[in-house]
Amino acid sequence: MNNKKLTVSHAPFWHDGDSLFKKNLNFIIALLPAAIFGVLQFGAPALGVLALSVSCAMLWELIINAVSKRPFTIGDLDAALIGLLFGMMLPAVTPWWLVVVGTFVAIFMGKMIFGGIGASPFNPALLGMAILMLSWNMFFDFDTAYVNYDFDFTALAPLVAVKFQGAATDLFPLSALFMGREVGAVGAVFSLGLIIGGIYLILRGYARWELSVSFIAGIVITAFLFHLVNPESYAGPWFHLFSGYTMLGAFFLITDSSSSPVQRIPMLIYGLLAGFMIILMRNIGSYADGTILAILLVNVVSPLLDNIRPTALGKDMSNA
Amino acid sequence: MIKRSFFMLSNKPRLTCDLLETDPEAPLKMDVPGLLTLLLPEPIDGKRTALIKKGDVVEKGQKLLLYENDTQYAVSPVSGTIKSIDTFTVDEVSGLRTRITIEKDDRNTEHVGYTDMPEDLSFAAQHLNQLPGAPGFDGLSRNGIQLNALVITVADTDLLSTTSQYVGTAHAAELEKGVQILKRITNLSKVYLLIPGYLLERVQFDGVTVMPASLNYPDTLPALVMKNHLDKILPAGRTPEEMGIFFIRAEAVVSLARAFEANAPVFEKCITLIDKTGARHRIEAVIGTPLSSIFSQLGIQIDEQDRIVIGGAMQGFATFTDHHPVTPDMDSILVQDKGDIIPLSDTNCINCGRCVQICPADIPVNLLVRFLQTAQYETAADKYDLESCIDCGLCAYVCTSRIALSQYIRLGKHELRKLRIDA
Repeated sequence: MNNKKLTVSHAPFWHDGDSLFKKNLNFIIALLPAAIFGVLQFGAPALGVLALSVSCAMLWELIINAVSKRPFTIGDLDAALIGLLFGMMLPAVTPWWLVVVGTFVAIFMGKMIFGGIGASPFNPALLGMAILMLSWNMFFDFDTAYVNYDFDFTALAPLVAVKFQGAATDLFPLSALFMGREVGAVGAVFSLGLIIGGIYLILRGYARWELSVSFIAGIVITAFLFHLVNPESYAGPWFHLFSGYTMLGAFFLITDSSSSPVQRIPMLIYGLLAGFMIILMRNIGSYADGTILAILLVNVVSPLLDNIRPTALGKDMSNA
Repeated sequence: MIKRSFFMLSNKPRLTCDLLETDPEAPLKMDVPGLLTLLLPEPIDGKRTALIKKGDVVEKGQKLLLYENDTQYAVSPVSGTIKSIDTFTVDEVSGLRTRITIEKDDRNTEHVGYTDMPEDLSFAAQHLNQLPGAPGFDGLSRNGIQLNALVITVADTDLLSTTSQYVGTAHAAELEKGVQILKRITNLSKVYLLIPGYLLERVQFDGVTVMPASLNYPDTLPALVMKNHLDKILPAGRTPEEMGIFFIRAEAVVSLARAFEANAPVFEKCITLIDKTGARHRIEAVIGTPLSSIFSQLGIQIDEQDRIVIGGAMQGFATFTDHHPVTPDMDSILVQDKGDIIPLSDTNCINCGRCVQICPADIPVNLLVRFLQTAQYETAADKYDLESCIDCGLCAYVCTSRIALSQYIRLGKHELRKLRIDA
């Protein structure tokens, strides 16, 4: 008898060919329209922030892998995606050290400390952002960030302007917000690009539509109710939808898989809750844009929500 | 291999069972090799004296028992001499087998048969359990089982195989005879025929209730057939037999008819073989034929690190040796080139939820796997529905992280069983 060594493994012997690399690559591709627009609008500094952010995030993961003697995982592109998302949430003129520190927080405290990909209870990029915003708040003032720029549109951060000057302003036509003609974070201003990317991800099955749709619904409903009560001080739903981090949040931040629920009803509740919290923070909280903190907050609720699930086949039956 | 489609809004891949050709060719008969191997589902016990030993002469159709009062047996498909008896591992959790190798001789033993063939369950369990198609009469004759209904499956349970569809339709007349015999053996009048809708016109006879089977995987698995057609939910951790429903392959029923016709056991097993190029061969081989002999007759080259899958792409098992014999329940053989094998990974679950969306048993696989990975099998069963799993393998098929989900689940069930026995 000859003894050929065969491959032995467990069923199933087929796989649909999907992988983390493909999933993350698709997310990155979907982010590109908005990222490229940001670079065109804010120039080379924006490109610098994005490039530094992506490379730093990957480098941090590599270093942490090496230090903790774990297999290198940057090949799955998850660090690159976190870096890109993180960079896209920053103003174009962010100092380099802030990016380095922020990506460290995102990768180390947001992801690797919990055991790497999939184990993080919070969206890593958001955790990095939240800590930076609490520590160095002055760098996230979009009004002062772009003082040296010369734009042909209102160079005021829409959410801040509305928060402190009231909603009865015509400085921000919806079409301008939709097309990204506003100041803001590098990758968050171009709503149209983000929507195209988001729809691509949903159609490809990489982002779950329940999360995005309920998130948008949560924002629209809550903002509409506020607007109904006091149109003078609270902006309408469409303004909220196309300003700040909303669209980035709807398609790329809330859809982060490891920190969101997976069952259908929990996903819908989760999205609605996040949308509701954002408008609450924007309208009556102290922050101009509550997207980051609101999503981090609902991240905490995610495991609880996932307890709402259908009864499995043959479980808890009276005749069993 | 069916890849992920580009657009996947519903997140559900369409896995459909292979269809039988409109004019199916008869299976290619494989030569009976000089050396045959039988697997007895019982390990060798060194403390007991075996009834058979190396050098014994066996007749064709002789029942081979390892020890006195055993219920498990093998039936020699040829006359010859026992060359060796040793222990054999099929896969990691299904336990050890005894492998009996028989060297065929040229004695003319055409007329070996039963002197008396009563149509009752104890005879069937004692003599006909190893018929091609693995009827499983031993499970039925076990105490405490109250049978209610018989389901004869002309539909194949796993992808790629067309064995049941072929045998059930090409030998419809024998199937009908077998059904009558089966009814008398089991004393059951409620007989269902599970058959794909497009084959309905090829199998027409009275006395059975026809259930048109869906072609979508995994709708032909017993638990789902019970749910969708019989309106019975299989309780978690139970088998259909325990619920009084007996699933039997069409091939087993046809074999039964042939055995009663010939007054002798039959050994020819029909197999769907998929080679490395994806081409399908329908073959007929005698039980005990080593796969290597089939491969050489068909000109299929097996190289290092290829994978030989027995029993289907989704639920089968990979054998470690190409000398694995043909067994009564072997409906399909799939040969995969080493380049076509997608490796598993040890990445964490990323909670993407695709397994949850595809699970036909509504199990929270994302949570379940976390408990299985940390060996908390009792919590996994109590809270996260481990025992509801029907082993369809779809969760692992779609897993983005490529976790060996099915393996964790199977191991979990195995360990749970051990824990309960110890308790």
